[in-house]
Amino acid sequence: MKDLLLKVEGISKSFGSVRALNNVSFEIFQNEVVGLVGDNGAGKSTLIKILSGNFPPDKGKIYLSGLKINFKNPIDARKMGIETVYQDLSLCSNLDSISNLFIGREIVKSFMRLKILQKRKMEKKTAEVMKKIDINIPSLKERVEFLSGGQRQSIALGRFVAWGQNLALLDEPVAALGVRETRKVLELILKIKKEKKLSMIVISHNLQHVFEVVDRIIVLRHGSIVGIRNKSSTGPDEIVSLITGAIKIKK
Amino acid sequence: MDIILKTRLKSQNLKKLGRGTLNNIVWLILILCIVIFSSTIDGYFNIRNYINILSNSAFIGILAIAESYCLISGNLDLSVESVAGYSAIFSAWLAGGTLYSSSGLNMNPYITLCLCLIIGIVVGFINSYLILKFKISAFLVTLSTYIIIKGLAIALTGGAGVSMLPDSFRLVDTIRFFNISLITIIMIVIYVIFYFILKNTQFGAHIFIIGGNINAAYNFGINVKSVIYKVFILSGLLSALTGWLMTARANGASPTMASGFLFEVLAAVVLGGVSLQGGVGSLTGVFAGVLLLSSIRSALNIMAISPFITEVIRGSLVLFAIIIDSVKRLFK
Repeated sequence: MKDLLLKVEGISKSFGSVRALNNVSFEIFQNEVVGLVGDNGAGKSTLIKILSGNFPPDKGKIYLSGLKINFKNPIDARKMGIETVYQDLSLCSNLDSISNLFIGREIVKSFMRLKILQKRKMEKKTAEVMKKIDINIPSLKERVEFLSGGQRQSIALGRFVAWGQNLALLDEPVAALGVRETRKVLELILKIKKEKKLSMIVISHNLQHVFEVVDRIIVLRHGSIVGIRNKSSTGPDEIVSLITGAIKIKK
Repeated sequence: MDIILKTRLKSQNLKKLGRGTLNNIVWLILILCIVIFSSTIDGYFNIRNYINILSNSAFIGILAIAESYCLISGNLDLSVESVAGYSAIFSAWLAGGTLYSSSGLNMNPYITLCLCLIIGIVVGFINSYLILKFKISAFLVTLSTYIIIKGLAIALTGGAGVSMLPDSFRLVDTIRFFNISLITIIMIVIYVIFYFILKNTQFGAHIFIIGGNINAAYNFGINVKSVIYKVFILSGLLSALTGWLMTARANGASPTMASGFLFEVLAAVVLGGVSLQGGVGSLTGVFAGVLLLSSIRSALNIMAISPFITEVIRGSLVLFAIIIDSVKRLFK
């Protein structure tokens, strides 16, 4: 049995009269990729935002490696080793790969109260990370607006490879990508799992992609979990019926 | 396969070359202009004229640094002109002794400098506070403060100018090294410092990140507010310093002394390659933009061309710069 990494217990969240999440509980184990699926408005993004520290839940508890956690902001979550790859990738298209990898984490040396960038160290570390995930970017000093969608995505994932210690939350990692680049990113996810022994939660609308990379699937519907399935014991048909509500769950 | 790869590589290299040329086009134009002016205009090819071009760049040059920082962070500071103007008349008013339109305080020039800098800091703070607290666009906030401060400058002396200040006020202009005044050297030193800060410090990196993608800045825990405060306070400081230097050079001030500077500053900054959308620009380009405007002004002066035509030429240059800015995007 694998070790427990994240335990979510009875989380609820409302926005005004809208109940976005209703008593959600699940567990994530170490070195496991979990798919989070559901229709639009099922509460996937709310759940991810709670886990990444964007806002607290109204009710419920979250444990990371057995410790109860209480994130006040995304920085807290990041300090605990939870890295979020946002849908818009949080890239600055005006900057190069190095600056993008290091946003908010620049390597600096203090000199007369000025924080001087250690550019050479940053470039070296970027090259290392890109080598680790086997991504070839022609020039690290090229602005990322000139890179392909897959290369941009790999920089966003590179942040997780470089700093993530526990869990990555990937929000629609391949939504904006072409066929070949999608393939590359899916391979990258499997590679990170295999080599870095990290866990990931992947949100995607594309069940084919989900089935390719995940170990388990959590299905959300109207803010509640309607099913948690092992990949080996289920198929796309069952997941679709869970998402749409064709299968009624017994209370 | 091989041919496809080769042509692709070739077109990529061409695009890179195209981008590189466009990014540095201001330097090309500057060199071209100076060569053409020097060979065709009598009296242009002269070391004293070049020194003049440099020293006439000082005020626009310092204000352009302030504006560049604001624009790169994705903001805009229209108040630079009126802060400089207010600082000019305020310092002259404080330092003036017996003149009827001055305060009669006969204040030491360096104390007036400190007071001006404090005013610059306060204006920068107010600008950024309003932008951050009420989430109003920088354009609207600084447009208002621009008008208010301009009004305050005129109200201070009732529209009258102050002249004939003590000689001690003029030291920054009268101290010269190889005929280059201290004001010009101050400008160059400020360029070096601010170039370094923008390029090599975490603060500079954060300015670019905020101008490029403010959501990314928030997501990765950058203290956006603190960076914006600093940018506007620096802008106020540099503008106030500029005003004080203007008084020192002119040995006096009038309330409308910096009128029209805003347009010139924006022209220089855009010519220098700073994007109005934020996140893009470098101070070397801005410096070239400032020198370009100054060298054109000098050429028009020597040829004694009507100032109205000057405006037409300057306006066309800005239009040209904006077109270059959008052509750059074709080279993606």
